[in-house]
Amino acid sequence: MNLNYSEEQIMLKEQIQKFCESEYDFYKREDVVQSENDFDANVWNLFAEQGWLSMPFSEESGGFGFGPIELSILFEEFGRALVIEPYLSSVVLSGNILDNSSYSEKNSIIEAICSGSMHVSLAYAESSNKYDYHNPLTNLSSDNKLNGTKALVLNGANASKFIVSCKSGNDLALVIVDANSDGVSVTSFPTVDGQTCSEVSFENVLISNDSIISSGSDANSLLKRAINLATLCISAEAVGCMTSCYLKTVEYTKSREQFDQPISNFQVLQHRMVDMFIESELCKSLLIKAMLEVDSNSEDMFKHVSALKSQIGKSGKFSAQQAVQLHGGMGVSDELMIGHYLKKMLTIDALFGNSDFHVKSFSASN
Amino acid sequence: MDINFTQEDLQFRDEIRDWLTNGGYPSHVKQKTDNGIALTKQDMIDFHKAVSAKGWMGYNWPKEHGGTGWSATQLYIFNKEFGLGGCPPLLAFGVSMVAPVIYTFGNEEQQKRFLPDILEFNTWWCQGYSEPGSGSDLASLKTKAVKEGDHYIINGSKTWTTLAQNADWIFVLVRTETTKIKQEGISFILVDMKTPGIEVKPIITIDGDHEVNSVFFTDVKVPAENLVGEEGKGWTYAKFLLAHERFGIAAIGTSMRQLKRLKNIVSELDNPELEKKVTELEISVSALEMTELRLLSALENGGHPGAESSILKIKGTEIQQTLTELFVEAAGEYALMYPGPHGFESNAKPEGPDFVANSISAFLNMRKVSIYGGSNEIQKNIISKFVLGV
Repeated sequence: MNLNYSEEQIMLKEQIQKFCESEYDFYKREDVVQSENDFDANVWNLFAEQGWLSMPFSEESGGFGFGPIELSILFEEFGRALVIEPYLSSVVLSGNILDNSSYSEKNSIIEAICSGSMHVSLAYAESSNKYDYHNPLTNLSSDNKLNGTKALVLNGANASKFIVSCKSGNDLALVIVDANSDGVSVTSFPTVDGQTCSEVSFENVLISNDSIISSGSDANSLLKRAINLATLCISAEAVGCMTSCYLKTVEYTKSREQFDQPISNFQVLQHRMVDMFIESELCKSLLIKAMLEVDSNSEDMFKHVSALKSQIGKSGKFSAQQAVQLHGGMGVSDELMIGHYLKKMLTIDALFGNSDFHVKSFSASN
Repeated sequence: MDINFTQEDLQFRDEIRDWLTNGGYPSHVKQKTDNGIALTKQDMIDFHKAVSAKGWMGYNWPKEHGGTGWSATQLYIFNKEFGLGGCPPLLAFGVSMVAPVIYTFGNEEQQKRFLPDILEFNTWWCQGYSEPGSGSDLASLKTKAVKEGDHYIINGSKTWTTLAQNADWIFVLVRTETTKIKQEGISFILVDMKTPGIEVKPIITIDGDHEVNSVFFTDVKVPAENLVGEEGKGWTYAKFLLAHERFGIAAIGTSMRQLKRLKNIVSELDNPELEKKVTELEISVSALEMTELRLLSALENGGHPGAESSILKIKGTEIQQTLTELFVEAAGEYALMYPGPHGFESNAKPEGPDFVANSISAFLNMRKVSIYGGSNEIQKNIISKFVLGV
């Protein structure tokens, strides 16, 4: 047994850390949030040059074939620095489905994703689905016409293609659609953590047989695995956020003086920070367990990702709320980074099943 | 990363499982613990003697002193399997507390005199640390030992002394000198419980059981040769000892066994609210198990985990307590009844689930775990100081 990262993994971690420190401070992030596209083209190109966009793709698809451990490393560092580039939607969600599918055109699209020239968004959610992504109302008719509305499409505004989950007869199907096809309309909205998501409607959009990526049980499996991997990624991101929350709070309370002393002298605050540290470490433990299960593609991998995500929902919000509380008024100031961790934690809990949902999933898979 | 144990470690695990299930673990003791019946002194002795006969008593000792010389991983497996197998916790006072102090700081004569009996469980040890006025602030202890010729005369009192009523020997921290810095002037002395002037008085805890005691010392005359190490260095030895006490502090195997029992009971109740709490607890147990494995991995791969292990104490005890709370919840209305720590008389059992009496007893008894061994608040002080640097 050895739960240490390999040398290669440590190098990757340091590389990402270095990028976050030198190229992506909080002010830079705020510029990105305020910009029209909600991502930075230069940063995205840099991601491509570093190979980060190709990282999780299989070697046959032109990637590095890195697994969930490396992805978790990347997302944990993203979480620490609150990086908001749209890695999750294009590379993880859409990328994972394409990579594992037998879709004939996948190589050229994956190449475009890896080079940074194309964003592809997965349209998996609908307003009525309550985290059950396998029974969409969006329908592909027998004459290949797609009708329906997908909700909360991450990075939808920048996507030139959508992978859409829909029903074809009684089967689930995944189809790929150009964003500029006739009958596709995209309306975008801001998210609480400074990104955008879109509502995407399809009205009699004609889908060629070649554009049906997968259907039936294969489609179910592709979708389930991609969502599971993405859930692992955002949980790793949350662990990064939680680490930053306690480290930044310790730093702040040591420098903030009241009653003629640093407020870190007060035991009630010390114990609160210890609670934040403990929650963060316990989540890190569940993260390691989950990433190893996903890495070995075990039958239990969904269960362990559910254990992780359910704990992240609770511990993540706890840590971020305590960080805000211990920063006092500064904690609720928009110009300070600390409050933005809380907003990130809200989005992470809401995505792909909140804490209660995953407690149930864990219990059901027992 | 590799989470798997080596083939040798798995064989080691199987050897322990074999002992537990195929007659090594004395069946009359197993029968009682499986059914939640309190053990007698003789049961405890039988159990420890069986472990000793297998050669496992010196589980955390180096080989040179007759111990197993096990790796940290083996120790982890041993502890977890004993917990999963439903064994009573091994009494730490002799083998895991006083013995490492004796073989590290004691002289050769003391080692020859005390260590073999500890390994064979011929002597039952208890711990003389806490005093009525010295709990978390242990170094403020007042029990005095004054040297007169080749003896020390001890006066004072110790409290919360676990199973002192069964003990043959006690190791005590005493003040041999009044110094400006309270940690100095403390010495570590071994005392025969039969020495005149020692009086043991029971303290009955809220579960109705007699587990802890007050121990009074009135002009107790102890040979000077029973001093371990140097006079005035007792505090160093005390801290060293507490580091050894960390063994198995997360109680992961025991909690996993209790969790399994709880799940079986709750699955019959059609109570979704309670089921959710049990599932959440199961996730906490998984998080604790992985946290312990992370610390173990760090230990085995050249790291030096320090104060982080306080997490194991805090979360491990919180989980142990939550487990007992959920058993009580599962008992529903019947949680009203409590016959005391030794259960109902067999001829006068009320209706209702048969796990009830044991659940209340465990719930009340387990309040101690977040208090002893450095209270959980003290553990948080430790993390704050040594990990967060506050």
